[in-house]
Parts: sequence; C-alpha cells; structure tokens
Amino acid sequence: MARRRTTTVSTGTSGTRGTSRTTGTSGTRGTSRTTGTRNPTLLAALALVVCAAGAAGWGGWQRYEASHDDAASFAQARDDALAAGEQAVQNMNTLDHKELEQGLDSWEQSTTGDLRRQLVDGRDDFARQIAEAKTVSTAKVLSGAVTELDERAGRAGVMVALRVTVTAPKGEPAVKESRLLGTLTRTSGGWKLSALGQAPVGSTGG
Amino acid sequence: MSAIGGTTTVSGDAALDPEAEETRTGTPDPEDGTDVSRRRWPRVLGALLTVALIATGGALYAEGRQLRDTPATANLALTDAEATTRVTGDVSSALSKVFSYGPGATATTRAAAEEVLAGKALQQYAALFGQVERQSADQKLTLTTEVVRSGVTRLTDDSAHLLVFLDQVYERRGRTPTTASAQLTVVAELRDGRWWIVEIGST
Repeated sequence: MARRRTTTVSTGTSGTRGTSRTTGTSGTRGTSRTTGTRNPTLLAALALVVCAAGAAGWGGWQRYEASHDDAASFAQARDDALAAGEQAVQNMNTLDHKELEQGLDSWEQSTTGDLRRQLVDGRDDFARQIAEAKTVSTAKVLSGAVTELDERAGRAGVMVALRVTVTAPKGEPAVKESRLLGTLTRTSGGWKLSALGQAPVGSTGG
Repeated sequence: MSAIGGTTTVSGDAALDPEAEETRTGTPDPEDGTDVSRRRWPRVLGALLTVALIATGGALYAEGRQLRDTPATANLALTDAEATTRVTGDVSSALSKVFSYGPGATATTRAAAEEVLAGKALQQYAALFGQVERQSADQKLTLTTEVVRSGVTRLTDDSAHLLVFLDQVYERRGRTPTTASAQLTVVAELRDGRWWIVEIGST
C-alpha cells in the first residue's frame, strides 16, 4: 500500500504538473479541515480510548470472575467424578483370565484407600481362583449419577447401573444387571474408588 | 499503513509546489508538512491503543464465557442443590405411589398415576396397569415399591434425567413376600411448578 503511494508521488515530481497538484490540493485541504476541528475530535478520541480501556477492564473482570466461579468448578468436579467413577466401576467388573495381571493392575489403578488395600491383599488368591475358573467378565455401564459431592473434602458418592456378562468355558454366558454404590476419593491421580458395593436389597422395604 | 502513505503524499507535494501552498495557508511549506505528520502520530497511536484495548477486552470476555458456559455448567445436577433435592423427592415419591398397589385398591393407584405421570409414561403405564389390575384381583397380590437411591444425571430449568434404584416387594396372600431389585431411568419435566414423569425406561 505504502509503496504504491510513494510511486504515485515520484511520478508527479518528474512529470505532469496537473496530476501532482490535484493530489496535493486535496491532501492539504483534508488536513486543514481536521486541524480546524481538532479539539472536538481530540475529545472524541480520548473518550473512545477511555471507553476502550473500560472495555478491557470489564473483560478482564469477567475473565477473573469466571476463573473464580465456584459453581463452574463444582460442576466440573461432579462430571470428572462421574466419569472416573463409571470407568472405575467398569474396570472393577472386567476381568479376562487370559490377561489376569493386566486386569488386576487396572483394578488397583482404579482404587485407593481401604478398597485398594483389600484388593492388593487378596490379589494372589483371587488370581488363582480366576485362573482355575477360566472366566471372562465384561461390563457395560447403563447409567450413572453422582449422588453427593464434597468438593473441599474431595469425596463423592456415585450410583451406577451396570450390566455384567460372565462367560465360563462351558455353558451360556450369564448376564446380570447390578446396581452399585461407590464412594470416590480425590487423589493426585484423579478421582478413585475408595468403596464399592451392591445397593442393599430389602433393607428399606418394611 | 495508509495513514503514513498519505503523509508522504502531502509533504512530497508541498515541497514540489510551494506557490500553491503559500497562497492558501500562508505558512512555509516544509514546516506545515512536519507539523501535520507530527500531529498525526498521536492519532495513529491512539487508534492502535483503542483497537488493542477493545481486542483485549473482547478476548478476555470470550475466554471468561468459555470457562463459564461449558457442558458441565449447563447441567444443574447438584450445583443447584435445592432443585436437585426437589426433583429427586418428587420423582421418588411418585414412583413409590404408582408402583404400589393392593387388591381392591388399584383404582387409588390409577388415580395417583394420573397426577404424577404424563405423556409417554402415562401411556406406557396405562397399557401395563390393565394387566396388573386383573392379576392383583385374581392372585390377591400386593406390591410395595421403595426407592433405595436416586440420583440426577442431568438437570436443566425444566427437565431432568434420573437414575433410580428400587426395591419391589411382592406379597401373595399366604406366601412369604419376595423382594426384587430394579433400576429405572426416568425423564421428568417441570410443569406448573411440579415435576411430572414423562418417560420411564428400564436401564
């Protein structure tokens, strides 16, 4: 852009006087007009700059508010807990006797606290049982919900409806739907199951 | 860019044609030229500053919106504790009512169902309940449903998705009762200040 203008001027210098004068006249006239209304323009410009500064400040304030929004972080924690809970419950109900170590490792990775300790303690016995039974279990999460969440304490309660399919070497695969209640604890590695059990049946019915 | 180009044109031309300039403005040309360009740079700077400030404000605001309006915040489950408690309470009591009946009292249940079920759920229920009424009368069957646990998977201002664990106790006269566990997914809608169950699915 600038380069093209410069070319126009130099053409004016070398040759046609008429062209250069017309350009010059319109240019200077424009300048003198602005010079005359300088103060109102300056005021308007200053106002604009102030408004722009206000806009920037307001944007910054919105950004600050958003990153300190408790509701947003609570909602995110709830979704994180549910996702981790569903995945952990699914892991805990998935086991293939051919990939026993890998499966049990994922059990331990999904859990923390007492639950993890129990798993680690019982691991060898359990591995032997599964190796003998030669079963393959797969699980599918049907639905899940967070029932309670204490973001500060890093604890959450989840309920998960699960369909488990257990295939033994002989016979038809057994499909069972189960309702599970779990407690999650937040660790440095994310939310992990610290308790898991079947929802009690008949305990509330009179 | 164009502003700087303009300046070049003016000063270049002023130097070229001094007579024309002097007759109009009455000031020496080179001075006028430098004066104009000196007056222009604060303007350019101001414009740039304005644009930069507005852009910064806009960018920060957009970033803030992005942080706030996530799929997570659109779901009010638990974040709106009051609404969550209300919808779980309403839905739980509704399910207990419509899935509990005794011989000779099915009409009460049917009437209750029309108060809490709507849409597809009411149609499903009506189809099912005809059978149930006959069975209950023939076999002296009593069903009691208790909600063990319910949770909200998704909640907005006027709709909710829930997961409900139920215990159902069947009693036939002269036999020991049997308990069955069930889990249902429920869709509820807020109409006239009350939560109505509009869809019931077995998970």
